[in-house]
Amino acid sequence: MKKAKKTIRYSLLLVLVISILMPNIVDAQDASDGTPILKLQYFNINNSVQYLLLESSTKKNKVFLAQKNISYKVYLDSVSSGNFISEVKTNESGKAKMFIPPNLKSIWDKSSTHLFIVMKGDEQVSSDYSITKARLEIDTATIDDIKNISVKIFKDDNGKLIAAPDIEMKVGIKRLVGILSGGDEETYTSDSTGLVTVPFTKINMPGDSLGNLILIAKIEDNEILGNIIVEKKASWGVPTVAGEDFFSKRELWSTRFRSPYWLLFMAYAIIIGVYSTLIYLILQLIKTIKIGK
Amino acid sequence: MNLVWKIKPRKPNKYYNVENNNPISRDRIINDLVPKRFGKRGMIWTSILIIFCLAGAYAYYRQLTQGLVVTNMRDYVSWGIYISNFVFFVAISLVGSLITAILRLADVHWSTPLTRIAEIIAVSAIVFASLIIIVDMGRPERFMNLFLHGRLQSPIIWDVTVISTYFLISLFLLYLPLLPDLKILILHRKPSVNKFHKLYVFLGSFWKGHKDQFRINDKSINILCVMIIPVAFCIHTVTSWLFATTYRPGWDSTNFGAYFISGAFLVGAGAVVVAMYVFRRYYKLEKYITELHFEKMGKIVVMLGLLYLYFNINEYLIPAFKMKKAEEEHLRELFSGSYAIMFWFAIFVGMLIPIFILITKKGRKPLPMFIAGIMVVVGAWFKRYLIVTPTLLHPFLPMQNVPESYKHYFPSWEEWAIAIGSLAGALLIITFFVRILPIIPIYETIIEQNEESQKDHSL
Repeated sequence: MKKAKKTIRYSLLLVLVISILMPNIVDAQDASDGTPILKLQYFNINNSVQYLLLESSTKKNKVFLAQKNISYKVYLDSVSSGNFISEVKTNESGKAKMFIPPNLKSIWDKSSTHLFIVMKGDEQVSSDYSITKARLEIDTATIDDIKNISVKIFKDDNGKLIAAPDIEMKVGIKRLVGILSGGDEETYTSDSTGLVTVPFTKINMPGDSLGNLILIAKIEDNEILGNIIVEKKASWGVPTVAGEDFFSKRELWSTRFRSPYWLLFMAYAIIIGVYSTLIYLILQLIKTIKIGK
Repeated sequence: MNLVWKIKPRKPNKYYNVENNNPISRDRIINDLVPKRFGKRGMIWTSILIIFCLAGAYAYYRQLTQGLVVTNMRDYVSWGIYISNFVFFVAISLVGSLITAILRLADVHWSTPLTRIAEIIAVSAIVFASLIIIVDMGRPERFMNLFLHGRLQSPIIWDVTVISTYFLISLFLLYLPLLPDLKILILHRKPSVNKFHKLYVFLGSFWKGHKDQFRINDKSINILCVMIIPVAFCIHTVTSWLFATTYRPGWDSTNFGAYFISGAFLVGAGAVVVAMYVFRRYYKLEKYITELHFEKMGKIVVMLGLLYLYFNINEYLIPAFKMKKAEEEHLRELFSGSYAIMFWFAIFVGMLIPIFILITKKGRKPLPMFIAGIMVVVGAWFKRYLIVTPTLLHPFLPMQNVPESYKHYFPSWEEWAIAIGSLAGALLIITFFVRILPIIPIYETIIEQNEESQKDHSL
C-alpha cells in the first residue's frame, strides 16, 4: 500500500515535470527548425492560362514568416537554358507568380507530366513538384426541370485525353470571397468516367443585372493535377438591378442635397430655436446700450 | 461714485471670510478684486506658455509645409493625439454650464466667486477645441468647405455647428455678468488696469447701472443659463457620437453620450478646483475663495467622480463580461496589454484616488483639493487618449499588407509640440483674461456683502 502511494506520488511528480518541460522541448525543436519552406503551385485557369505560384517562408517558433525579396530561377523538366521558365523575386508576402512562356510550348506538348525545378542561386531548392496536364470542362444541363452542373475532368495520357476518376473538386457559384456549393455537398468526386453531376439547388440566387451566375469548378492542390479552375456563365440567377433612385432617395447615405426630411426638420428646429434666442439676446443687449446712451 | 446698486432678493451669502463679523467694505472689495499686474512669477509663467505656443506654432508650420506625414498618424490611426486633445478641451469647456448655469438656476450662491473662473476656462477651452480640429485637417485652407458643402447627415457637421453655438453662448455668458464690473473698472482707474481703460470703455461704457439695464441683463443671463445647459449637453453628446456612430470595438456603445458628459463634468470641476487654488494663492483671495468653497467643490467632485466611475464600469465591465471576439483584443490591450499602465493610471489617478482623497473632510482642504484636481485633469487627458487610439488600432478586419508603422502609434515630436502648444495656448488665454478681467465678480460680491450686512443689522 505504502509502495503504491509512493509510486503514485512519483508518477504525479514526473507528469508535472514533463508538463513543465514539454512546451520548452517543443519550442526548442521549433527554434532549430528555421530552414526555409518553399511551396510551388501550378494553376490552370479556363484551360488557357497556366502559371506557377511560388511561396517562400521560414517557420520559427511555430510562426511562418514570409521571405521577401528573394530571387529564384524556375526551370521546366531540367536545368538548362532551353528549359528556363522565369527568374522571380518574392514580394512582401513572400510570393512570386510566373507564367509559362510560349517558347516552351514544344517541350510542354511533348510530355504528359512535367517537373518544375526551382534554383536559388546555384542551389537546387525544389525538384520534386510535378504535374500531369489535365483539362476541366463545365457545362449545364436541365433534365426533368432539374438544373444540373456537369463537370468533366480529363488527364493527358501521351497526347490523348482520358477520364480522370476520383478527383475531388468544388462545384458551385462564384461569389465575392469564395465558392458557394451548387448542390448540397461541400465537395464532389469524379466517377470512373471523370464526370461530376451536381443538381443545382441554389435557386433564386442574386445574379448580375441579367440574372447571370458564374458557375465554377475548382480542383484545389491536387497532388497530380495541381490547381485547375474553370468557369461558365449561366442565367440561373435573379437579376439584381441597382435601383436607379438608390442615390436619389432622401436617406442618411445620400448627398447633402438629399438629407432626410426628419433630419432637416430636427436640425433646423434646433438651430432656429437656439439662434432665434441668441438674436433675441443681441436685441436685448442693443436695448441695454440704448438705455445707457 | 454714482452707481445704482440693484438690491436683489437673494439669500445671504455666508461663504465669505468676514473680519470681526463685519462685511468687507465696498472699496476693499474693489481694491482686492481689480485685476493685478503680473509679478515676477506671473511673467515667468506667461513667458513659459508663450515659448510652448511658439514651439507648437513651429511644429504646425512644419505640418503645413510638409503635410500630415510629419505626424505618426497613418491609415489606421487617423485620429491621434489631436482628437484626444479636442475631446479633452470639449470636456473642460462643459464646466461653464455646470458652475454658472446649473448652480445659478438652482439658486446656489456660494458659487458666485467661481462663476467667472468657470466661464473663462470654458471660453478658452472651446476656442482651442475649435483650433485643434483645424490642426487635424490635412488641408486647413478648405475649412470653409465644412460650412459650404457640409452634409447635414454627418455628425461632424453637427459637431461644428454645436461648437460654434456653444462658443457664442459661453462668450455671452462671460460678457453679460461682466457689464457691472466694467463700469466699476471704468470708474476706478486703478494703475494696474489703466492701460486697459479704452478696452473697458469700448466694452462697457454704455452700462450706467440703470434699473432697466439690470432688469434686462438679469433676464438675459437667466435665458442664457437655461439655454446653455442643453447646448452644453449637445456639444459633448455630439462629440461622443463622432465615435459612437462609427462601428468599432470600444466605440460601439449606446451609452457614450452620458459617459462623455459625466467625464466632462468631472474634468471641468477638477480644472476649476486647480484654478481656484492657484488664483486664491497667487492673488491672495482667501477672503473670497474660502475653505468652504473648497469643501463644497470637493463634494461636487466626489459626486461627479463616482458618477464617471459608474459609467466606466458600464463601458468596460459589460463588454468584458461578454468578451465578443472583436472586442476581446481591444479590451485585453487595455486591461493587461500595452495600454494597461495608461488605462489603470487613468482609472486610479483620474478617478479612484481623487475620490478617496476628497471623501474625507481633511481631503477637502485647499492643498489636497489642488492635488486631487491636478490628478483628475491629468487622468482625464490620458482617458481621452485611451478612448481614441487603442480602438483605431483594433479594427474588425485584421491589418494586412501594410507597413509595420501602420500597426502602432506613438505621436511624433510635431504632434506633441502642437498638443502641448494648444494646452499652453488655452492656459495663455486664461492668463490674459485674468490679467484684464476681475477673476471674481466685483459687483456681485459687493451686493452679497451688502445683503450680509443688512441681515446682520436686522438681527
